[in-house]
Amino acid sequence: MIVTNTETVVGYQITQVKGLVQGNTVRAKHAGRDIAASFKNLVGGELKGYTELLTESRRQAVERMLAQAQQLGANGVVNVRFTTSAVTSGAAELYAYGTAVVLQQATPETY
Amino acid sequence: MEYIEHIVDFGILVVLLALGLLAGGYAERKHLRSLARREAANGDFFISQLKSFPGAVPGMTAPSIIVGEVVIASDYLKTFLSGLRKIFGGELRSYNSLLGRARREALQRLVERARAEGYNALCNVRLESVDIAGNTKARRMPMAAIVASATAYHRGTVAV
Repeated sequence: MIVTNTETVVGYQITQVKGLVQGNTVRAKHAGRDIAASFKNLVGGELKGYTELLTESRRQAVERMLAQAQQLGANGVVNVRFTTSAVTSGAAELYAYGTAVVLQQATPETY
Repeated sequence: MEYIEHIVDFGILVVLLALGLLAGGYAERKHLRSLARREAANGDFFISQLKSFPGAVPGMTAPSIIVGEVVIASDYLKTFLSGLRKIFGGELRSYNSLLGRARREALQRLVERARAEGYNALCNVRLESVDIAGNTKARRMPMAAIVASATAYHRGTVAV
């Protein structure tokens, strides 16, 4: 599966557009990490727990998006975008969406 | 006996401010040093915000999306000072630098991840901020959260 956030993929031709695919997730860390974060807010520095939260959310959202693309018989997703929304404190909604396409390797002449 | 309570309250405030000044300042300086070092080391890595693939070379592995996340906390001193600033209005400089650091860090993570996968260029870089602290007023944890995404590809050494 070729996934990009550009509309085209260099070296490939889009032969079929399968349509919009999407995946979302709302995740939170356990209360202990929230308490640790509030202490970290006194001394500054990276909130590793929340960075992890974003990484996990992003992976899950992308996974769900790719599962949809697979079901449509696509071999790539182009123009992928991420948006987030604030649902409640200590949680993050991550929404990934893109266009499922069928890509074919381009010949050197059409490159 | 009531004045003792006030002294204790004031003492706690002073301790927290000192903690913010020392620990927060140390964390910030350390981060800025790390950023300067990594930005210098990754200076040869080509980054653009174009949707095309400038200078792409054929016959290499397919382009791939790369995502980088980072969340950085404010410290007590910054939060306190910005609280004062909000009374008078104007630029909240301490938060400015916080967001700037988060964006620079997210970009460096993109570059490092792209490099690890064998790519030498990034295009269509997008930086987006996230609200983890939430829109509830009860919790006040100022932090900068950034999700950066880009497409990594192979670029020829000859400038195009």
